[in-house]
Amino acid sequence: MGEVIVITSGKGGVGKTTTTANIGIGLALAGKKTIVIDTDLGLRNLDVVMGLENRIVYNLVDVISGGCRLKQALIRDQRYPELYLLPSAQTKDKSAISPEQMRKLLAEIKDEFDYILIDCPAGIEQGFKNAIAGAERSIVVTTPEVSAIRDADRIIGLLEASGIQKNELLINRIRVDMVRRGDMMTVEDVTEILAIDLLGVIPDDEQVVIATNQGEAVVGTDSLSGEAYERICRRILGEKVDIPDICCPEGFLERIKHLFSGK
Amino acid sequence: MSVPSVRIAKERIVNLLVTDRLQCTPGTTEDLSRDIFHTLSKYMEIKPEYFQVRITRSDIHIKYTGEKY
Repeated sequence: MGEVIVITSGKGGVGKTTTTANIGIGLALAGKKTIVIDTDLGLRNLDVVMGLENRIVYNLVDVISGGCRLKQALIRDQRYPELYLLPSAQTKDKSAISPEQMRKLLAEIKDEFDYILIDCPAGIEQGFKNAIAGAERSIVVTTPEVSAIRDADRIIGLLEASGIQKNELLINRIRVDMVRRGDMMTVEDVTEILAIDLLGVIPDDEQVVIATNQGEAVVGTDSLSGEAYERICRRILGEKVDIPDICCPEGFLERIKHLFSGK
Repeated sequence: MSVPSVRIAKERIVNLLVTDRLQCTPGTTEDLSRDIFHTLSKYMEIKPEYFQVRITRSDIHIKYTGEKY
């Protein structure tokens, strides 16, 4: 029986869709039959991030309204045989589906996949309610900024109130240089403030932008962010993988240098 | 020597989360804390410096250290 995981954040632009794509691909590369579902009605993007935008025929709303069968709407990715995408609709609005319909769809497809990843839209309105309906677990994506952390806290409260107990944090776009000079919150700061388990940390990495430009993933490639996503996937699979301290404590020399430069 | 911006960010986010969680204005949390202190002090001997109210997503924690020897 598959596990339904919703990827959410509250705030937009923190990396939900990129995270959904990379974790989905990482799990598929690990041999798990995985489906990624875009629930952002009217603003679909997961297909673009994955480079599959030209292959869409039917979408989530077609499946739910009975306009097509699930198999007709699913897009297989030639590069990853275990991966399936169910794209969102670009022309419908949030009210085109209901949480009950989402729950029913997920119950129907749960047996066919090992992992079902739901890419949640930004905000806490109808789209959010649709996305979390039927999820057993969540990944809350945030960046080390006041606004993103604030929204993450609100989202975690709503997830807990809706009965989703397993909520884990993914901190995206950490910049080691800024953390070191005291201009960005550390992983420990963010984790302590939000008080939920940490699933992983993704460093701010140009490779994400470059890969996304080309409709490709970073997971499975030789990059800091790719390796970080791979470790996250292994944690999701139940392996015990350490979260490396990417903001490694300063060595003796650096500390002396800072002392003299007055920082 | 300038203040690292993280210190300001942390202070802001911590205050923001408390007002969000209680859905109140910033000053309200201090009033709440003071009222709880007054209420407790009717029943037990506590000093302000050993008393703390912490607000999480689902709980309000009241922390105090009792009589000291």
